[in-house]
Amino acid sequence: MKFSYSWLCEHLETDKSATEIGDALTNIGLELESLSDYSSYSKFVVATIKDFKKHPNADRLNICKVDDGANTYQVICGANNVKKGLKGIFAKEGMYIPGTQIHLKKGKIRGETSEGMLLSERELNLSDDHEGIIELSENFKNGTSAVEALKLDDPIFEIGITPNRGDCLSIRGVARDLSAKGMGKLKPLKYEKIKKLEFESPISWSIKNDDNSCEYVVSRYFKDVNNTKSPEWLQKKLISLGLRPINALVDITNFITVDLGRPLHVFDADKVGKKLDMRLANSNEKILALDNKDYTLDVSSTVIADNNNALAIAGIIGGDHSGCTENTKNVFLEVAIFNPNSVAKTGRSLGINSDARYRFERGLDKNMVLEGLEYASYLINKICGGSVSKNTDAGKLVTNEHKIKYDFNYFNKVIGLDLEPQTQVKILKDLEFQINERSDNECDVLVPSWRNDVKNNIDIVEEIIRIYGYDNINVSVPSSSKDEINNIENSLVNKKFKTISKLKKTLVSNGVSEVITFSFHSNRAQEILTGDTSLKISNAISDDQSFMRNSMIFNHLESAELNFKKGIKNIQLFEIGPIYNSSQSQENILSLLISSQDDTNSIYKSVNFNFYSLTELASKLISSLNFDIKQFNISRSTSNIYHPGQSAEVHMGKKLISRYGKVHPLIMEEFPKLKNTYTIELFFENLPIETISRINSINITDSQFQFSEKDFSFIFEKQQNLYEVQKYVTGIDKNLIKNVEFFDLYESKDLGDSIKSVTFRVTIQSKEKTLEEKDLEQLHKNILEKVSNKFKAKIRT
Amino acid sequence: MDIKKVLNEATKEIEQSSNQLDLLNVKVAYLGKKGKITELLKSLKDLSLDEKKSTGAELNQLRGEVDKLIKIKFNQIKVEEINSKLRNESLDFSFPPPNSISPKVHPISKTFDEVITIFGSMGYSVAEGPDIETDYFNFSALNIPENHPAREMQDTFYIDDKDKDGKPFVLRTHTSPVQIRTLLNEKPPIKIIAPGRTYRCDSDSTHSPMFHQVEGLFINENANMGDLKGTLIEFCKQFFNVQDLKVRFRPSYFPFTEPSAEMDIAYEIVNNKIKLGQGDRWLEILGCGMVNPIVLENCNVDTKNFQGFAFGMGLDRITMLKYGLTDIRSFFSGNLNWIANNGFSIGDF
Repeated sequence: MKFSYSWLCEHLETDKSATEIGDALTNIGLELESLSDYSSYSKFVVATIKDFKKHPNADRLNICKVDDGANTYQVICGANNVKKGLKGIFAKEGMYIPGTQIHLKKGKIRGETSEGMLLSERELNLSDDHEGIIELSENFKNGTSAVEALKLDDPIFEIGITPNRGDCLSIRGVARDLSAKGMGKLKPLKYEKIKKLEFESPISWSIKNDDNSCEYVVSRYFKDVNNTKSPEWLQKKLISLGLRPINALVDITNFITVDLGRPLHVFDADKVGKKLDMRLANSNEKILALDNKDYTLDVSSTVIADNNNALAIAGIIGGDHSGCTENTKNVFLEVAIFNPNSVAKTGRSLGINSDARYRFERGLDKNMVLEGLEYASYLINKICGGSVSKNTDAGKLVTNEHKIKYDFNYFNKVIGLDLEPQTQVKILKDLEFQINERSDNECDVLVPSWRNDVKNNIDIVEEIIRIYGYDNINVSVPSSSKDEINNIENSLVNKKFKTISKLKKTLVSNGVSEVITFSFHSNRAQEILTGDTSLKISNAISDDQSFMRNSMIFNHLESAELNFKKGIKNIQLFEIGPIYNSSQSQENILSLLISSQDDTNSIYKSVNFNFYSLTELASKLISSLNFDIKQFNISRSTSNIYHPGQSAEVHMGKKLISRYGKVHPLIMEEFPKLKNTYTIELFFENLPIETISRINSINITDSQFQFSEKDFSFIFEKQQNLYEVQKYVTGIDKNLIKNVEFFDLYESKDLGDSIKSVTFRVTIQSKEKTLEEKDLEQLHKNILEKVSNKFKAKIRT
Repeated sequence: MDIKKVLNEATKEIEQSSNQLDLLNVKVAYLGKKGKITELLKSLKDLSLDEKKSTGAELNQLRGEVDKLIKIKFNQIKVEEINSKLRNESLDFSFPPPNSISPKVHPISKTFDEVITIFGSMGYSVAEGPDIETDYFNFSALNIPENHPAREMQDTFYIDDKDKDGKPFVLRTHTSPVQIRTLLNEKPPIKIIAPGRTYRCDSDSTHSPMFHQVEGLFINENANMGDLKGTLIEFCKQFFNVQDLKVRFRPSYFPFTEPSAEMDIAYEIVNNKIKLGQGDRWLEILGCGMVNPIVLENCNVDTKNFQGFAFGMGLDRITMLKYGLTDIRSFFSGNLNWIANNGFSIGDF
């Protein structure tokens, strides 16, 4: 909310400066967002360009003779509006220019001395205008201060009002809060009640809806008014807040909205019927509002209507048809209490953000209904003349003052500060709470009608500390207890974060960079990956971010494409983050992408990344978590992310641990620039965290005796899973067989489409002795027989 | 017979040998079965006993000397031959390597790590909750009823799917629902932080539709607002690594805390850069307050015996402040150059 210092002072008798007021506002929770205080601008003065000529060394610069009333200066100026006789604002050398944040130095500009500067609005921080230097009317005398010439003598405050403080959406409310902080004294409102209410209002009210959306409405009828332009004082006030004066009647309602925080509405009485209703709108009822837009209402909205039409949307905006113009002769003024909830609901569904809605939503001071009516009557009568009717009303005005039983010790317990009851009472009284002390520890607090937000003990504590000052709260740092340290050590989530750090370290040391991408992906991604359609974001910012992702693959391919376009040929990235299977199933996984272009460097040529390099990386990742990939069940991946012939899935029991492989060519069609792209997904949350957290888990037996190696070649069924063969061979003699490593695979038409020839090398070593030839031969024979029997494999010789 | 002459001749011939074969021939010529020195030794038998003795000793010394010279020369030739062979295998050391991106950890990861460590040292364990939340957990349980203006403080993303109350699921707008989940599942005392992803439909250089927050919650018999201030000041000192830190707490409003506060850190501009800790300008760092008893009651916590505080801060924001980064959108762009410039190598992680 915006207001000027002088306007504030109409409600607050104060000797405090604008800066002091600004600090106090922030300290009591009315955060000062900006304060334009221009008192330091009095050093800048009005000056005239007496003469000018082109700068000899620069086309766009002029050498000006500038007169500030006392002296003449030479000023080099680049503005395009330089002309003889122009009156502008002048800054001498040495002065600080707020807009550019520099001190002017005397110096030469392209060889010519410059003794100062003629300023633009931007250089004075008044606007973003830097088109040229400021041009003033000829009436100003040279030497007049900029504060006077530019009318900057009234500082403007802009403050942020939190949603609980509807009472401060008025200048009077702000002044009241400041007075409680000791910033001055609240002045009484200056107006006179209309002495004679001369006639009965020809227009009457009835409240027809029973949903409590309108509790009370009161009106007066003004006969024979002259709706002129507003007087200058009123126009100036509105302009100072950036509001445009329209006509006296409209300006008065706008003024009272800001001054007292009391929205009210004026109807042209000749444009509405004699019986007005508060009623729920009909389905599809239409209204053209004062903002010149058509709105279609539904049955949940409350309207003000006559027999024919909806005239206004209650508490939000008036109708265009019934509004006041310069021709208005008779006026019907409406002041009402609308339910915050229903105003909020209607306002939101129609998308109207009016000053009235903003205030009704936050709750109004019910005691201000009649005060607002009187104040508005006074101003209308004074400015527009005419005569005023008696009140006409409907509904019941129930004031919202309420009582709270308050315990003084509660403050001390919550804040950690011993504050005497009398200090607490003083602050509450300054805030106009009424106090009845019951005992040394307790009192009854009567909350003023404008503080709808204060409802219980904790709200009272907040009021006291807000005014007493947060700075006065003693600081203490609670240390950690043994129990807490134990909790951290046993916390599964803590362990999970440790796991995540471990994975990050492993990957970065293997040359993979970490990225973080959005949890969303595109329509297209969702379509291709056939995710759960109920994961659509109803109000997505764009089609590219319209679904919660069920895989990171698209985000990572997009990132790879971006990096490729930046000239990075070898892309290796990973992310650890959430994917979503449904709105109630989210898991954190690791997803890694490697995309490499064909190597064109004939000197540094490395082996191209392939499925087997990927397998090795997947295995490294799993072993960094204290597991051995070989202990799991590994099969072909069935996920549509992967190439059906170059992919694998790792399971522990039924739990999916990892998937990896070449990205499916159908997905890659979306990213034609990328080649040779592989991905690994690691579902680390499915691994038992206890094993991951273990420090020593690997158990390799070390032997000093000689080892022996023997190669075996078999012809297997093509479908034969070699992990099973490996596991089986290792199991033939667990004491002697140290390692089974595959190193050759041969498939060919000649061999037959359904079989493959595989060679593996078995390392044999005993912990107890150097094995003799006959022991070895026996073991070799054993392996040959058992493998060929178990897998119906042919021994190749 | 002149022993000296033989030695001179032998030395000369050894010296002149330029390869192993030459040298071998020299060796045979002197020390072979019919070599000069061998012949001389053989002729000893014709001499008198005395002569045998003295000449024998001289000849043996001669043989030893020549043998040693041959061995030295042999080694020289061998090294020379290998080196000349290796010179032919030479590769160009001056061929520059191709550029490669240096792999880094994302700066947010570093912040996550530090936040968990610093609060861990104060006794906070880590808790978590889902990104897709119910309306109840994200709003109502936190004392933000429907149609309340506070809901408009946060632009909420909604999901098509509806929860069991018939309301659309929301993307959590803050990490505060983890407070509710923890309060419902655990008995006080509770001391947790909950870092994670959060979402609001907003996008410009300081707002991203996805960002990160950390929530803190401390509930016991007597945790008060002084403890809240002390905890957060201590955190900021450690995180920003500024011991002399000027801060201010000012009243604010969050429906789920009462009294509520926002914490600002003083800063100044030095050489066009933000310097945190001192100065007369303020930067908002986080929101906090004493947990509103209404929230505790919503979670069936006995408010006669338990109270405490909560806080929430933007992790992207404090990361940007700490490292002088300006555009939050680059955090999530997947640009590897940006990561290489702003990320951390494992040694610093």
